[in-house]
Amino acid sequence: MLKAKNKLGLIFFPAYDWAISPTHPEREERLLYTQDQLKEEGIFDVEGIVELKPDIATDIDVMRTHFCFPDVESVTTQSHLISAGGAIRAARAVLDGEVSSAFALVRPPGHHSMKCVHGNRGFCNINNEAIMIEYIRENYNIRRIAIVDTDCHHGDGTQDIYWHDPDVLFISLHQDGRTLYPGTGHLRENGGPGAKGRTINIPLPPHTSEEGFLYVIDEMVLPILEDFKPDLIVNSAGQDNHYTDPITNMNFTAKGYAMLNDKLKPHIAVLEGGYSIQGALPYVNLGIVLAMAGIDYSHVKEPDYDIRYHPQDEEITAYIKKLKKEVLNNYFSPMPDYMRASPGEFTVRHKNIYYDTDGIHENQKEQIKTCKNCRGLLVIESSSSVNPPSAGIEIPVDGCSKCKKEGYALMEKMWKSREFVTIQMTDRVDKRYFRYSQY
Amino acid sequence: MRLGIDVGGTHTDAVIVDQAKGVIAKYKVKTLKEDLLGTIIHSLKEITANQDISKITNVNLSTTLSTNAIVENRLEETALFLSSGPGIDPENFAIGNNTYIINGSIDHRGSEVLGLDSIQLKKSLKECADKNIKVFAAATKFSTRNNKHELTIKEAAIPFCDYITMGHEISGLLSFPRRAATAYYNSAVWRIYNNFINSVIDAMANIGIKAPLNILKADGGTMPLEISRRVPVESILSGPAASIMGIIALCNIKEDSVILDIGGTTTDIAIFAAGSPLVNREGAALEGTPTLVRSLENRSIGIGGDSAIKIENGKVVTGPERFGPCMADGGNMPCLIDALNFKKIIQYNNRDASERGIIELAKKNKFKADHLADAAINFAAERINAEIEKMLFELNSKPVYTIHDMIHAEKIIPKKIYIIGGPAKALADVLSGDIEILVPEDYDVANAIGAALARTTFETELFCDTGKGKMIIPNINVEKNVTRQYNLDEAISDAKTFTREYLRKHGIDINLDELTITEATNFRMINDFYSAGNDIRVKCQMKPNVVMYLHK
Ligand SMILES: [Zn+2]
Ligand SMILES: [Zn+2]
Repeated sequence: MLKAKNKLGLIFFPAYDWAISPTHPEREERLLYTQDQLKEEGIFDVEGIVELKPDIATDIDVMRTHFCFPDVESVTTQSHLISAGGAIRAARAVLDGEVSSAFALVRPPGHHSMKCVHGNRGFCNINNEAIMIEYIRENYNIRRIAIVDTDCHHGDGTQDIYWHDPDVLFISLHQDGRTLYPGTGHLRENGGPGAKGRTINIPLPPHTSEEGFLYVIDEMVLPILEDFKPDLIVNSAGQDNHYTDPITNMNFTAKGYAMLNDKLKPHIAVLEGGYSIQGALPYVNLGIVLAMAGIDYSHVKEPDYDIRYHPQDEEITAYIKKLKKEVLNNYFSPMPDYMRASPGEFTVRHKNIYYDTDGIHENQKEQIKTCKNCRGLLVIESSSSVNPPSAGIEIPVDGCSKCKKEGYALMEKMWKSREFVTIQMTDRVDKRYFRYSQY
Repeated sequence: MRLGIDVGGTHTDAVIVDQAKGVIAKYKVKTLKEDLLGTIIHSLKEITANQDISKITNVNLSTTLSTNAIVENRLEETALFLSSGPGIDPENFAIGNNTYIINGSIDHRGSEVLGLDSIQLKKSLKECADKNIKVFAAATKFSTRNNKHELTIKEAAIPFCDYITMGHEISGLLSFPRRAATAYYNSAVWRIYNNFINSVIDAMANIGIKAPLNILKADGGTMPLEISRRVPVESILSGPAASIMGIIALCNIKEDSVILDIGGTTTDIAIFAAGSPLVNREGAALEGTPTLVRSLENRSIGIGGDSAIKIENGKVVTGPERFGPCMADGGNMPCLIDALNFKKIIQYNNRDASERGIIELAKKNKFKADHLADAAINFAAERINAEIEKMLFELNSKPVYTIHDMIHAEKIIPKKIYIIGGPAKALADVLSGDIEILVPEDYDVANAIGAALARTTFETELFCDTGKGKMIIPNINVEKNVTRQYNLDEAISDAKTFTREYLRKHGIDINLDELTITEATNFRMINDFYSAGNDIRVKCQMKPNVVMYLHK
């Protein structure tokens, strides 16, 4: 009987009774053919591969990561909580030693969900990986985590959540934002004032192929990871770089994804996008599963590979090679942030965010304190086309007593001003998550 | 009157059950392992001795023949033809010494990607002919979506072989490795099974029994003889299922329950949800090899009446080894039965021998005899309890695939434990807890009762792609063209009608309402934002049940 070299946990949750809308790419059918392929291959019978039932994320799990307006219930459905719970189950399986790595094949995806949530953007409501990572940091003695986002779209949500976090390295490989939603993910987006070089964007030209992706992994991602020395590597495993994907323009393959995972060796992979549900997903998912389990994947190949896949143009190869220096510089010697406020003061960012799926416009004022003793109090004032002014206050994981006191005082003051319909407190130090609400 | 025989590893049991009077005859004899046929003929003669043979309407047989042949590797040299296309290297699924991998590929939608390599096939067949191999098995990937390649292999193979199993005829479920293994085992036991069955039929004729013969399966149901000739592999592991069906007939099980069948060497554990035995979703494993043979959810642990008592690192341990019978039965090592005898929980055979054994072992290890016996019994009870807990935990944490099932699926929480088998009564007192424990009457022949009263079971899986305009039910060879408008209701109706028709053809007349739809899904398929038809799947089952109950 076939045996996995590395014990792998699979959390397979296709949500066969949930869709954004009947013809939306994020619909019931999306993982049906993947399940067919995995079953037919006998994956669930392989010795060393175990299928695990997802947890259901709680409101607290969500609030630990997001500011939800007006509250968690209003911006999530059960499907989101199960999807995030699937990622949490994957983490538990790995960190409790049940398996050596885990792959959460769950939907809906999450990497476009930002710190503040007013609704759905880019098919995502809440950020599965971030909810998982915050669960890990609260329940296990793990601090340094690297996320490598291999979805074709820029993981702008994950970037936003970890923008100010020096312990979480976020690397995103994606089709250049000038040619694809959400339009961000440029080289210069490099992390907040206290976390420079902890956000690394690698925008790739359309039609990047196996060669280009693997070059990026070998020459950019792996050297950075080697230096960062994370306790845990997470792959945001979007599969829309595939040459058959209907909403993107890349040229990646199932075997390529398998090789990528073989090189990256993530502890946890969480499915993100990927909408070529018949032509790509069954093979890409199979490839990733085999690679993670340490089983030979050299026979994994799409039926139309010989007809439709083309090796990379030389021009693209040259372009990607030129990216290397800039990417490595962004990590090893990032530009200091001259805009950073002096100690005790807040650095302010104003943001306008569009939620494409739900058609929501959000206005944000984000303030992060420069603190000598911790990474600083975070305060976000946010209003949107669906919510009057609301606010979130976060006392960070390593929050100092001064920041903590200031956070609670600020909450009272803001609430008394009656300018906000809801204020969420995320106190990571005392693990208190609650809100004041006029509803 | 229905006649049931269960040929077990140690004993063969036979009963005759009368519709009105219940069990009117029972017979038990040691199984002669080297002469199963002799044991059966002898049992048939004994059980029918003073009965009106003409009133027997059914003979149901549960036999370990196929299981033994596989476990003891007494298999006919069989050629296995595999064709897999992309994915895991098919070499991993080779079984036996004659696996041939033929190029060809069918994808998950049942579309042919690459035709079967006829030159390779011919060459392989020639090799089989040279080796004088006479039984073949063919399994191709996704053959339950499109059986073309398996049919091609069969057509080419017919001139060379006495029998060939095609994977898609065994089950409509997906799993290429299971299909390959099941098809292989089916062919490998085909001849030995058919020869055996022919002898049983001759013997029945000699005795004067004219009733039809049905064969017990691992899912607690029967299959008509003619079907069993083609899928003898379905007769494996029927013994534990027969016992479970016996319990159903003997007890009025309505709620979540645990069934324990305590034998000499092992204890079998089965779980009932809302009064029905749980069926394993994928299929039974045979010697560690997963198959597509449907079976009841059932687990065996090494605790039985003859489990040896030992001292390991200063601790009293019972089982899992059995070194022979207990001392009460003339053995020479104290066993669980001896501990129960010593404690006067039971009164079984030579109690003096039991006492002697326990006292001696205690003395040798500086234990108090009383303490040793208690510890041995507790160990056994705890092992059984722990295994029940583990099984329930696993069943309750089985993955589900819809939000509805995630939120609403009910957990199995047993309210009763039913115990059968030799030391049943004794262990019932020991297995403590808040759960009610019951020991049904007539439990000593529950297996044969289960065999006698089990009804036919059958399962079909319908698959339809309305975009392609095709509906198939692979294991009964149904293929039908449908329109784009074909819907789930029509599919459900088709699944039931075609299944009934198939069973009728094999002499089993059933009502449509005896068929249960266990799964019915309808996915709208979208291709680049345009509708591409529907993917409809229906699972239809004749669920395991008994034809009558014996409880009052
Ligand atoms: Zn994407
Ligand atoms: Zn501080």
